[in-house]
Amino acid sequence: MRGLTKRYGPLTALNDLNLDLERGEILGFLGLNGAGKSTTIRLLLDLIRPTAGQASVFGYDCWTEGLDARARLGYLPGELGLYLDLTGLETLDFLAGLSRQPVAPRYRQELCDRLELPRSDLRRRLREYSAGMKRKLGIIQAFQTNPPLLILDEPTDGLDPLMQESFYALLAEVKRGGTTVFMSSHVLSEVERVCDRVALLRKGELVLLCSVRESCRLAPRRARIYFSEDVSAPPELPPGLQLTDRTPRQWRLTVVGPLRPLLTLLAGLPVKDLELEEPRLEDVVLKFYRQEAS
Amino acid sequence: MSGPYLLFRLSFRRVRLLLGATGLLIASVQALRVLIAASVHSAGQFEEITSLLPPAVRSIIGPSLASVMSFNGIVCGAYFDTGFMIALLALTIALATMPASEIETGFADLILARPLPRHWLVTRTIALVLISIVLMLLMIMAGTWAGLALFAPPEVAWPSARETGSLALYLGMLLLCWSGIAMALGAGWRRGWAAATTSLLAFAALLLDWAQRLQPSLERIGWLSPFHYFNPYDLVAGKPLPLEDLVVLWAIAMTGFVVAYFVISQRDISR
Repeated sequence: MRGLTKRYGPLTALNDLNLDLERGEILGFLGLNGAGKSTTIRLLLDLIRPTAGQASVFGYDCWTEGLDARARLGYLPGELGLYLDLTGLETLDFLAGLSRQPVAPRYRQELCDRLELPRSDLRRRLREYSAGMKRKLGIIQAFQTNPPLLILDEPTDGLDPLMQESFYALLAEVKRGGTTVFMSSHVLSEVERVCDRVALLRKGELVLLCSVRESCRLAPRRARIYFSEDVSAPPELPPGLQLTDRTPRQWRLTVVGPLRPLLTLLAGLPVKDLELEEPRLEDVVLKFYRQEAS
Repeated sequence: MSGPYLLFRLSFRRVRLLLGATGLLIASVQALRVLIAASVHSAGQFEEITSLLPPAVRSIIGPSLASVMSFNGIVCGAYFDTGFMIALLALTIALATMPASEIETGFADLILARPLPRHWLVTRTIALVLISIVLMLLMIMAGTWAGLALFAPPEVAWPSARETGSLALYLGMLLLCWSGIAMALGAGWRRGWAAATTSLLAFAALLLDWAQRLQPSLERIGWLSPFHYFNPYDLVAGKPLPLEDLVVLWAIAMTGFVVAYFVISQRDISR
């Protein structure tokens, strides 16, 4: 995506987005509601047209060569618009019929088995499906042609924890097979677990693009220190340290950057124990979200 | 690849039921109409019934009144009966606004995320509308022939195939014209708005046409109504199918389809 911009009158839904996906990676696409995630996805699918900029999929321009671009991707929308008169099998067959890639029956069956959508359920009309079953069907229709690019919008929304696990395993497997995944999600623990990189949108602008590991480094680490004797708080803390809670024998701090200032501070104190929490993606992302909200 | 999509909606139980039920209803009513025409003929009451018609209706039908108020005219009336036309127009408008419905429900997202050109949303709908119109006209014909075979008095002549064919073509073109208008509006608007606006337009156009037939001074604006180009009474009176009317109705339909293609190709597909 190069300079991708979408405006609706005075409202800028997406502003000058520059983003490359590497083959075989899973990119988590994050942002609050209205940040521009769905707009970006819809631009890639040529459902909406950009005000400026361009996007391509495997070298095919999403607008001038949209058919070639879309022949190489599978899409799971955030909200599935399905015809409730159809059965699950009819829906899968119909959507498969519109793809250029043939569907391997064994692969589809494997997907159904893994997501526990048996043939008896596939023969039922969609009006009888629960939200979770529709989500499973949505995942199967996106994966069934085994496309080299998957665009997934909130893929685990409505799935129970066991199905989420199955989905993560499936995702890991297609990634090993070389599939690239562009995935929007609000579940930060999920993104931290399955994604290689994260891209964060705020009010239509890309504000963070880095690997999950790098993003965690941006997060403040939480430390809890236990003392064997009562300790009074120092009048001033070194830069990067912030005391969030304190009792005479226990401090809670956040540490931004290296640990050395904390260790230096603690050197002369009767430290009984020290607990350090791993930094989490959630801390970084929530910080950005709070900035946007404020 | 586009084949399955082209015939997709016809595979729907709901669509098949709608078409089947409407077709059967129309065929049955038409058979009943033949029965009524036969009983009026047997009683020799055509002139009596004609004399009971209000002057406004006489004016609307015009000089072809005697032909319309005959056995042949009543049997052929299925092709210009207001009730039939309203039912068929409602069906046509519902089918023609399907692209709007698919965009609203998000189904269009799923299909257009595949390598399927956008124009198929319109092409498929035109095909479905055409199939439905032909099916409905065939059902009227079937009802006519069944009714004639069952109830027609032996001494009366059946409407000729040429006459019923011309009337069917005429009505089919009128329906196609309104489907073009509905499709043009449905390509850019929400389905509810498009269907309601087309229905209101059709109703207003029908009233305008009637008003113009009653009040010739309204002819200045009467030409704006598509119904102005639908004069089936003349056909029943034995006049040939007016090609210029067919061309106008065809042109309106084609303009609607072209607008629909253009709007769909340019618009953002979003709910």
